[in-house]
Amino acid sequence: MNTSRENMIAGLADDLQPVRRITVQGGLLLVGFATLVAFGVSVAVFDFWFGMFEGEASSFFWVTNGLVLLLGLASAFALVMGGSPRVGQRENAPGWSAAMVAVLPMAAIIALFTGEANHVHEGLNDPVALMCTRASLAAAALVATASVLWLRRSAPVSIERSAWLVGLASGALGTFAYGITCPLDTVSHLGLWHVAPVAIAAVIGRIVVPPLIRW
Amino acid sequence: MIADEATLARLMASAQDGDKAAYNVLLSEAGMWLERYFRRRVPPSQLDDLVQDVLLAIHNKRATYDPTRPFMPWMAAIARYRWVDHLRKVYKHESKEIEDDDAVQDSEEEVTLARVSLERLFSHLNESQAEAIELVKIEGLSIREASQRTGQSESLVKVNIHRGLKKLAALVEKAD
Repeated sequence: MNTSRENMIAGLADDLQPVRRITVQGGLLLVGFATLVAFGVSVAVFDFWFGMFEGEASSFFWVTNGLVLLLGLASAFALVMGGSPRVGQRENAPGWSAAMVAVLPMAAIIALFTGEANHVHEGLNDPVALMCTRASLAAAALVATASVLWLRRSAPVSIERSAWLVGLASGALGTFAYGITCPLDTVSHLGLWHVAPVAIAAVIGRIVVPPLIRW
Repeated sequence: MIADEATLARLMASAQDGDKAAYNVLLSEAGMWLERYFRRRVPPSQLDDLVQDVLLAIHNKRATYDPTRPFMPWMAAIARYRWVDHLRKVYKHESKEIEDDDAVQDSEEEVTLARVSLERLFSHLNESQAEAIELVKIEGLSIREASQRTGQSESLVKVNIHRGLKKLAALVEKAD
């Protein structure tokens, strides 16, 4: 071993301080806490929709929010796992979950073209579409901030994958946090405007996140 | 002789708790392992810089090691990540002959090396991409020289390097 490396090793060893280990549980707690905050802010701004527990919500409301939550959990777990370097990772739960969620806008589009959309809140002329998209993205921003902070502390070695996952996890969890305050439960509203923020957040994550987490 | 997986894992766990002597041994052993790991994948003139770069990364990210998991795959993932980053940064270098001697390895390490080998990453690239990266990023040829050597146009050499490195970056933790 050459002297330069020996000196460097001696220096690093000399400066060594105990460290608090970064754990998967810690990452999940941070992302989970951010989701709770996003949910709390959504409820404070838009009020909780108690109607969902009084039989007012359609089954599509539960299906959509359930799938979006599942995508958020799968992406958040993969994101947190990706912060700890290892080789041979193969899990693709976020990919399959995203594929399942992608069925929702297809269902919405089919509903629109088959004349099912006859409500003012349905379809592409949905007057609250922009509000739902914005609110979901605002909630997603909180989750994304926590995710990026955690990844900066950890050591992601697949930067692009982690960036996609930040977008997917924050988009899905943010949309879920806002989504359960939204009383509009039609196929076309939920299938389009409660899925679009997930896709938008994923693309934003892919573009914005890499420079923030590269090390 | 490079320490085995269990010893390295134990040393790292002790280092996380602040054991300086254990850390010194760990980094020395890791340095030797990395030297062999990178030997055929970077010009000899860059080998020590890359090893030191990875050791520094190990130091900075030591909190991310989970003592309940094997140490070698953790270190190898960091090594791959820094290596791809190194290939991206290094563009033009004087041509250096890559050492071709295969060091004798003990059987346990052979298994680990086989699992995390950089060669395996290259096997995921197509022939043109691997050739372009080998010649320009590792042997240090210019784009023009690589173009003449391979028969690919200069633009194609650049495209193959760009796409190959992108693919390598995506494979850092995915490939066995």
